[in-house]
Amino acid sequence: MNSNSITVSHLTKKFTFSAKNSSASWLKNLFSPETKEIVAVNNISFSVKSGERIAFIGPNGAGKSTTIKMLTGILFPTLGKVDILGFDPTKDRKKLAYQIGTVFGQRSQLLPNLPLTDSLEFFGVMYDLSEKEIKTRISELVELFDLGSFITQPVRKLSLGQRMRAEVAASLIHKPKIILLDEPTIGLDVVAKKMLRDLLLKINKEEGTTIFLTSHDVGDIESLCNRTIIINHGEIIKDLPTENLAKTFVYEKYIDLVAQDNFTDFPLLPEGISYLSKDINKITVVVDINKINVQESLKKLLTLFKVEDIDVYNADLETVIRHIYEKDSQKN
Amino acid sequence: MKKILKKIRLPIKIIKTQIREHFYYGFRLVASMMTTIARCGILLILYWYVYRLNNGVINGTTFLFAAWSIFFYFAFLTLQLRTIAKLIMQDVQSGNVEILFSKPISYLSYRMWWQVGSGIYYFLVTTTLGVIALAFLIGFPTTMKIGVFIPTLILTFFCGCILSLFIYSIVGLFSFWVEDINPIYWIVDKMIMILGGSFLPIALFPALMYKISLFSPFGAANMVTHTVYESWRTNWYQLVGVQLFWIILLGLITYFMFKKAKEKVSVNGG
Repeated sequence: MNSNSITVSHLTKKFTFSAKNSSASWLKNLFSPETKEIVAVNNISFSVKSGERIAFIGPNGAGKSTTIKMLTGILFPTLGKVDILGFDPTKDRKKLAYQIGTVFGQRSQLLPNLPLTDSLEFFGVMYDLSEKEIKTRISELVELFDLGSFITQPVRKLSLGQRMRAEVAASLIHKPKIILLDEPTIGLDVVAKKMLRDLLLKINKEEGTTIFLTSHDVGDIESLCNRTIIINHGEIIKDLPTENLAKTFVYEKYIDLVAQDNFTDFPLLPEGISYLSKDINKITVVVDINKINVQESLKKLLTLFKVEDIDVYNADLETVIRHIYEKDSQKN
Repeated sequence: MKKILKKIRLPIKIIKTQIREHFYYGFRLVASMMTTIARCGILLILYWYVYRLNNGVINGTTFLFAAWSIFFYFAFLTLQLRTIAKLIMQDVQSGNVEILFSKPISYLSYRMWWQVGSGIYYFLVTTTLGVIALAFLIGFPTTMKIGVFIPTLILTFFCGCILSLFIYSIVGLFSFWVEDINPIYWIVDKMIMILGGSFLPIALFPALMYKISLFSPFGAANMVTHTVYESWRTNWYQLVGVQLFWIILLGLITYFMFKKAKEKVSVNGG
């Protein structure tokens, strides 16, 4: 658990592309087009220990996928260094590929027209496993991922949940030390999501596989990852244990007020309390406990509203993450 | 020996997997074969008729030679090597390239073997049936009975395969820089079709076009169509030499283009 699997230092990726200038002639646009530059990842550094489960999250366009692609050697960094298990992905992409597994939630690596077993055998050969090793590993994966019921079906006939299980299984055929997953639960229903998360936890525990995933799904982060790195505008804005993430906004409390009859008017609230939602049956307010404590807020709210029920709670993880994104966007 | 076996294990697996897929979807194979047979058959009937109108000889060649030359073109076409260009374009446009780039393989050689695998079964079946049908219907020209014919046919066939893969890979690799390679593909493909002798047997080419066909990479990719003519017996080493020259040159271009393309990869979401 102590050695670093991944070390990233000052990693930067800039994309340049030619942009058409509508006021310039087509000849100029063809031979000397204007170029624009986007900084997708800006000077990020972090390290991951063996066996860790990392959530690498951020809003769309934050630089998550770009980072994952630089870690796997698909993209070349503009600046900075990546060290994965002692390999430099830009120079040792093939050697590194034997040590890592990748799953891209929106793309399939399986052979669509053939039964799943063909894909697994195919990847076994690709990773230089012997015929005996392939057979043994396939039976291990079939048992672990419960693939038995559909292993003989052509991949394109599988449900999305089955396919994602198969995708992860295929990426584990060579027993990688690290598995990098780019939005693995995208589009899955709640049951399939839970099953996939449980399986990832299982391989992390049983095989010690380091998990590095990007996701927009809070459930993936909460139930799977012990550390969360938040990236926005290409920069790391938080890197902390997932359990501490919820405490980031402990100074905010949420109070639901359920109306005794109906709420007819919505008066101005005391300082430190603000409306989050207003409905004739229910009001939700946010209390800034740096300005007013919960007890005082309740007293003041009860003088303003006739209520049947009250619920006081902390922000859920999704709200916390949204707040972090919003605060960072305001800063920029 | 062990090293070689290890090296060819994946290509063999790719070819086996592709053949398996063709068996799985047998109807596709039958449909493709029927299309090729129809295209080649119509051309052969047309040329048979044209030759008959000219008392059986045009430009010093009989229908027997022209028919086998056209057949060799179509047989070579069934290998579908040209599809590699479109496949690379699809990989780049769809972002699928990132999946293959994350595997312990060379993307380009994987795609080349994939292409060979996807056409080989179709090629073997169509060619075997075609040879039997033509032998039965029109017989073999004398040039196909000489000792040098089979070995040089195999040699030029392999050189043609490699050259075609390089030409179409170069076209495909353009998609790392250009959004739509279809216009480039169209030009290159038509050049190969015309100079390779698909519409008009090469024996009927005007002198200049014949020279272009011999010395351009487009014509050189389809040198199999030259093997049935009398001139092949004396010129084969020169023509294979031309093929080898283009293989080396285009191989280097492919290598350097792919090297640059790897640094150029950019897919949606990074």
